[in-house]
Amino acid sequence: MLDSFLYVALPYLAVTICIAGSIYRIRREPITYSALSSQFLENNGLLWGSLPWHIGIIVIILAHALAFLCPGLWQQILSVRAVLLVVEVCGYGLSILCILGLVVLAVRRLTSPRIQAVTTAMDLVVLLLLILQVGCGLMIAVQYRWGSLWSVGTTCQYLWSLALFQPDISYIQDLPHAVKGHIVGAWLLILVVPFSRLIHMFSVPLSYLTRPPQNVIWTNPRRAEAAGEVFVKEESRRHFVLAAGGIAFGGFLLLIGTFDKIFNFFFGPRLSAAEETKLMQHKLERLKITAEQRSLELERRESRFIFIADLKDLSDTEGKYFIDFSMQPGIAFKGENGLPILISAKCTHLGCTVGNRRDAEGRILCPCHVSYFDVVTGKPNEGAPAKAPLPHLGWILMNSKDQVIARGPHDKTGGVNLSAQTLADARVFVTREEG
Amino acid sequence: MDDIKQTERAGSGNGSLTGKAMNFMLERFPVEKMNFHYMFEQKEVPVHSMSWGYYTGGLTFFFFVIQVITGLFLIFYYQPTVSDAYLSVEFINNHVSGGSLIRNMHAWSSSAMIFFAMLHLLVTFAMKSFVKPRELTWIAGVILLFITFTFGFTGYLLPWNQIAVNATKVGLQSIEDVGQYLPGALSTLPQVLRETFQGEASVGQSTLGRFYALHVVILPLALSALLGLHLFQVQLHGMSRGVDEKPKRSEKFFTAFFFKDLEVWALAFFILFCLALCIPFESFLPFPLLAPYDPLGATPAGIKPEWYFFFVYYPLELLPFWVILLASLAAVLVLFLTPWIFRGTSRKTLRFIAVLAAAYLFVMTVFGQAIYEALKS
Repeated sequence: MLDSFLYVALPYLAVTICIAGSIYRIRREPITYSALSSQFLENNGLLWGSLPWHIGIIVIILAHALAFLCPGLWQQILSVRAVLLVVEVCGYGLSILCILGLVVLAVRRLTSPRIQAVTTAMDLVVLLLLILQVGCGLMIAVQYRWGSLWSVGTTCQYLWSLALFQPDISYIQDLPHAVKGHIVGAWLLILVVPFSRLIHMFSVPLSYLTRPPQNVIWTNPRRAEAAGEVFVKEESRRHFVLAAGGIAFGGFLLLIGTFDKIFNFFFGPRLSAAEETKLMQHKLERLKITAEQRSLELERRESRFIFIADLKDLSDTEGKYFIDFSMQPGIAFKGENGLPILISAKCTHLGCTVGNRRDAEGRILCPCHVSYFDVVTGKPNEGAPAKAPLPHLGWILMNSKDQVIARGPHDKTGGVNLSAQTLADARVFVTREEG
Repeated sequence: MDDIKQTERAGSGNGSLTGKAMNFMLERFPVEKMNFHYMFEQKEVPVHSMSWGYYTGGLTFFFFVIQVITGLFLIFYYQPTVSDAYLSVEFINNHVSGGSLIRNMHAWSSSAMIFFAMLHLLVTFAMKSFVKPRELTWIAGVILLFITFTFGFTGYLLPWNQIAVNATKVGLQSIEDVGQYLPGALSTLPQVLRETFQGEASVGQSTLGRFYALHVVILPLALSALLGLHLFQVQLHGMSRGVDEKPKRSEKFFTAFFFKDLEVWALAFFILFCLALCIPFESFLPFPLLAPYDPLGATPAGIKPEWYFFFVYYPLELLPFWVILLASLAAVLVLFLTPWIFRGTSRKTLRFIAVLAAAYLFVMTVFGQAIYEALKS
C-alpha cells in the first residue's frame, strides 16, 4: 500500500502539480519565475557555492536524463569498460563538487545576516532536500557500484512503465532502501518545484553565455571612466566562455574517441605474428634493394664494364633500365642492326628519369615536362623543354668466353659482320669509356 | 651608465653613420617599453572592419605549435634511411595506435600553416603594418615565410615515395639551372649549392639525411629564434592601426583579444581534428605516386610539388626559365624592401595590390593545372 503510494501515486501527483503549478506561477507571477538573487548581498560565497553546485548538478541531471530516455544507447556506450570507468569517476567527482557547493551555500545562507533577511523556510527545505538527495546518490554510487549499468534494467524500466501509464513497481521493489529513498527524494523535489526557487530551472539563461555585452552608460563622468573597463571585462568573459567551451568540447572529442589511442601511440603497436612476419619481409625487401644499389655503386668503382643483359633479352620497343657509371639511370634497347643502343635516361631538362617505351616514331618520353627523345640520335623533339640530346653510352659485346666481340656506339665497324648465332649468345656491358 | 647615454646622444646628434644606426636600433628596440606593463597590460588592439587580419598571425603560430607537437610524435617512429623511411611511414599509418591521425594532422596542419602565413603577409601588407617602426617585424616575417616554405620542401621528401623523391630531384635540379645565367665564377655556385643539399651524385641517402636534419632540427631552431624576434617586436610596438579612419574603439590585448584568439584556435583545432580524422591528406593523389621510390624506373607521370608551390611551379612550366628567375628575384627584393618602397603608398593602393596578388595566388593554385593543360595541348 505504502509502496503503491510512494512509487505510483506520488510520481503522478508530483509531475502533475509540478507542471500545473509551474504554468500557474509563470502566468500569474512572471516576476518570481527565477531564483531570488542574493548576489548583491553576498558575492564571495555565492561564487564558490553556486558555481560548483550548478556545474555538477547540470551534468549529473543530463546524464540521468540520457540514461532514462535512451537506455539502449546508454548501455551500448557503457559497454566499453574505459567509458564506464570514466562515467563512474566523473559521477563521483561531480557529486562531490555538488555537495561542496551545497555546503558553502548552506553555510552562507545560515550565517550571513544579510542573506538571513531574505531566506524563506522553503529555501531551507529545498537546500536540505538537495543535500540529502545528492548525498544519497553519492552513497549509492559508492556502495552499490556500477549504478550506471544496473539502473538500465531497474529504474529505467520503472520510469518507462510510469511514462507509458502502465506502472510496474516490481522493477524497483527489491532495490536497496537507499535507492528507493533516492527515487522518493526525486519525486519530492519535483513536487516542490512550483512552490520554491527551483522553478528557476525553467528559465535557464543560456543566452547569457553568448549574448552581446550590455554596456551601462553612466552620465556621471567619474563613473563613465570606469564603465569602459567593465565593458571590456564583460566582453572578454563572453569570449572566455566560448573559448573554454570550444576547448572543453575538443577535449571531450579527444577523450571519447582518440585519447586512449594517442596515449598508446608511445607503447608501440602489438602486432600479430603474421603481421610481424609480413613487416619483416617488407623490410628485408627494401634492405635488399638498398644493398643492391650499394653493390652496384661498388661495382662501378672496381670494374671497367658492367653487365646489363643478354643481347637476346633486349627489345627494340621496351628498353631495360640500368645504372650507368655516374650512378644515373640509363636504358638499353636493341637497335635495327641487332646491336644494342645504350642511352642515358636522365632527362637533360630537369633530370627526371625518361620512360622506356618507344612510340611509333621510335622516341621515348620524359613524363615530367613532355620531351620526346629519339633513341637513335638522342635528340629531343622541336619545342621540347629539353634542349640538349640524351647522350649515348659506350657498350661492349662479349661472347661466352669473355672475349670482346664488338664495341659501340662510335666504333661503327665492330659487330656488323657477326653471325646471328654469335649475337644470340652475346652479352651486353656498359663501359666506363665512351664507346 | 651616464656615459653610455651621453655617447648615444652625441652619436644621434652628429648624424654620423654609427649614430644613425644607433638611432635606428633605439627606435626599434625602445628600452623604456620593455616591461610587462607596457607589452601586455597596456597593449590594445583596434577594432575595425579589418580586425580579422589580426588573427592570421596567431593562427599561423597555432599551426606551428601543432606541427611541433605532432612532429615530436612522428620522430618516435620515423627512420630517415632510404630503405626504411617509406616503411616506417607506412608503419605509423597502419600499425601505430593513433598514428594515421597524428600524421594526417601534421600534413593538414602544414598546409594550414603555409596558407595562413601567406594570408598574414597579404593582410599585413594591405593594412600597411610594415612602416616605421615595424620594419624589422616585416623582414623577420618574410624570412619566417621562406623558412616555412623550406619546411614544406624538406618535409615533402621524408616519406621517400615516388612523387616525393622525383619532385625533389626536379626542385634541386632547377637550383642548378640558375647557374647558366650567372657570370663567371658565380655560375658554378648553384651547382655547388645543389650538391651541398643533395650530398651525393643523385638524390639518395645523403639527401634524405640532410633534409631530415634541416626539417627536424635546424629549421625549427631558426624559426623559433626569428619567431621570438617577430613576436617581441609585435608586443613592443603594439598592433598597427591598419586602417585610415580612426578606429571607434579598441580592446585590451589581455584579456579580451587573447581570449578571442583562443576561441579562434579552438575552432581551428576542431576543424583540423575532424579533417585529419576523416580525410587522409594523400587522398588527392593516385597510388602509383605514393608507392615507394624505385631507383630503377621511369619517373611516373604527374609529378608535382605541393599545392603551395603551384604559384611558381606552373609559370615555371609555361614560361622560359629566365623570365621566372627575373620575376622571382624581383618579387623577393620587393618583399624585403617593402617597408621602404611602399612607405608613402596609400592603404587603398596597397589593398589593391594585395587583392591582385591574392587573386594571382588563388588562380594559379586552383586553376593552374587547367591553365597548363589548356596552353600545352
